[in-house]
Amino acid sequence: MSGAKVDIKVVLLGKAYAGKTSLVERYIHNRFSGDTVPYQNVITIGAAFGAKTVSVDNKNVIIGIWDTAGSERYEAMSRIYYRGAKAAIICYDLSDRSSFDRARFWIGELQKHEEGCQIHLCGTKYDLIAENPELRKIEERETAALAQDVRGKVYETSSKSGKDVALIFTNIASDYLKSLKNTEVEDNKEYMVPLRDASNKRFVCSGCKI
Amino acid sequence: MATDHREAEQPVNTSDSDFQEDVEFVETNCVPGKCNSAVFDTTDELDDLTLNLANGVIQNHRGTITSLIRKRAKRSNTLKDEEADQDLANSIASEEANSIEQSELSSELSEDENVKNGLEDLSLQDTESVPEESPSVTLIPSSSETDYVNSLEWKQQKKHIFILSESGKPIYSRHGSEDKLVTVMGVMQALVSFVQDDKDNLRSIVAGDHTFVFMNRDHLTFVGVTRGRESTQQMLLQLTYMYNQVISVLTHSTLVRTFKQHRNFDLRRPLSGAEKFFDNLLNLMDVEPGLLLTSVRCLPLDSSVRDIVSQTIVQHAKVKDLVFALIIAQNQLVALVRMKRYYLHPMDLHLIINLINASESFKAAESWTPICLPKFDATGFLQAYVSYLDEECQSCLLLLSVDIEAFYTLSECRAKIKERLDRYNALTAIGNSLQRHSYSVQQCSIGDLRHFLYKARSTAQYTSPELGPPYNTPEQQDRLFGLYHFLHDKVHSVSRPLKLLYHVGKYETLLGWVTQGFELYAVFGPLVTKNVAIHAVNKLLRWIKREEDRLFILSSVTF
Repeated sequence: MSGAKVDIKVVLLGKAYAGKTSLVERYIHNRFSGDTVPYQNVITIGAAFGAKTVSVDNKNVIIGIWDTAGSERYEAMSRIYYRGAKAAIICYDLSDRSSFDRARFWIGELQKHEEGCQIHLCGTKYDLIAENPELRKIEERETAALAQDVRGKVYETSSKSGKDVALIFTNIASDYLKSLKNTEVEDNKEYMVPLRDASNKRFVCSGCKI
Repeated sequence: MATDHREAEQPVNTSDSDFQEDVEFVETNCVPGKCNSAVFDTTDELDDLTLNLANGVIQNHRGTITSLIRKRAKRSNTLKDEEADQDLANSIASEEANSIEQSELSSELSEDENVKNGLEDLSLQDTESVPEESPSVTLIPSSSETDYVNSLEWKQQKKHIFILSESGKPIYSRHGSEDKLVTVMGVMQALVSFVQDDKDNLRSIVAGDHTFVFMNRDHLTFVGVTRGRESTQQMLLQLTYMYNQVISVLTHSTLVRTFKQHRNFDLRRPLSGAEKFFDNLLNLMDVEPGLLLTSVRCLPLDSSVRDIVSQTIVQHAKVKDLVFALIIAQNQLVALVRMKRYYLHPMDLHLIINLINASESFKAAESWTPICLPKFDATGFLQAYVSYLDEECQSCLLLLSVDIEAFYTLSECRAKIKERLDRYNALTAIGNSLQRHSYSVQQCSIGDLRHFLYKARSTAQYTSPELGPPYNTPEQQDRLFGLYHFLHDKVHSVSRPLKLLYHVGKYETLLGWVTQGFELYAVFGPLVTKNVAIHAVNKLLRWIKREEDRLFILSSVTF
């Protein structure tokens, strides 16, 4: 599935209740309803699609965002959402260890099926951590190491406060514009090939385990 | 079948046959809401249920989606890998399903009265199923679990619905977390399998003012417990809706395959996030007569407006592989367009309405989600494009396709449909109709008539006025709904179906009338006489006939 009027296809993946929909809500509509609406009521069914135009360096880029449902039964369908995606935002709840394991699973899936997809690791609900650091279940260095393995970027966001939410999408847009300019990616060339080969198998396995 | 014969409060006079001679009924050849071209799949679920009692299995329509996908593949001449896979999977699954159904059939035997009697004893003594009377009987060791089950709050719920797997694993409970009900579900499982050992099926238990209804289907056991007015048959219908909801989330093939592989599988995992569909469906059943009548309620709309809406859909959603396109506003159908030769069943439509009704997430963005419609094809998913057409999120557009890649195409269709509907002010018309709330019973200008349900059988649609005084409080609405359950049950009783029922109760007089063409359930004040009631009903039929263009969808629109 590739969007007709969309420049970049972005897909959000992650465990149920990780905060994917809230992230999109904050980014597209600049609102947050997590405090008022019980989360069971807004659980995503299937997948939701939204688009937003960003301007980077005076150029307009339309980002089409696929906000997928985290529930396990939709897993079989998820491929049609990440097929052809330029970037994937893999969300995990900073206060929920199991959601990080789920993130590893999605990384494995993407590396297996969609190699050209840039991975953005996104820890969510930062406001909770900021309030009470003891809630943090996933250390920054852990995600940094994982991100380096998959040549991805790491963010710790809060959809409640809006922290770093727009940054992810701006980065995705500027990455896209860069790749338009020079079709071959030069920045990461030196360490890109060997690392991927080395890490490929390992992550598939860790994904299978979950 | 052990049915509890409970009358509406203190019946003064119930008669069903003796007054045909003194009053003339309206000629039935001008049935309001009648239509020669079928709009819906009109097989009545109650007939199915009776069949089910005899045969044990409801025949599901199968392979429709597979054949549609094949057709599509043939057309494009490139059978893509995954489709082939899906085809294969579907055909394997349906074979599996068939073989399983056959085995189910063979193990089905007719009801045995002795077993039934034995069971009633069982339920009374062993299971604490009569909570109020026997708190002293505690066979289960006391723990936090039993404390919860014994809590007043849990016991006083009017209706309980449980779903458990064949091996007794809890899957769903209407009230309370199913985790805490492991013991209770174990008892239910024991009851069910005890009877199955004798090659029989446990169907219902009556204990005090509670009725327990059991339904086994595809490795799942559905249990309904009620102290309301629902009959066994009606509870069975509600359980069937629950079963259909499970299928709608998982498909029949997946369900059967899963339990074939792991008998002990915990079905809560694939169903996680779907609990609210079950809750919402059960809530709908308590307030929405359409589920009881297996018929659809249409939003009252001038037929010219409705024509514009459906023609707009036909013109702008003429996309291959699109099976159904519909617009729903506040649980009422605005318009339906279907592919030639394929019909939507009212039960499936109720599942669709439940999907929309239960979920807030569709209000935020366009969505794309798989849904299985058990009556249409229980073996596969249709892909549903869901999007609201107006800012207030009242009118919801659904486009159901077999093409998993069709999202962007359908999204473009939606933009065109919305633009056209805006131009013709159709969305405003829908909004106005919603604001006027249907119609009040006074509009029919019939004296003592308080409320009614009218179902046109040939179109599987029903109409009823909004609930006015005295039915303006939830308690009174509940009571009214109980009366309808009572009336519906008496008219459709398996052992003795009635054509007419005139029933005088303490607070109201009821009249139920079933013909080939329609079902009518009318509620009058308590002082009305038989003659007045019959004249009123005739007048009502004429009124509905006059309004039928507005109240019903009488022409079936296809792509």
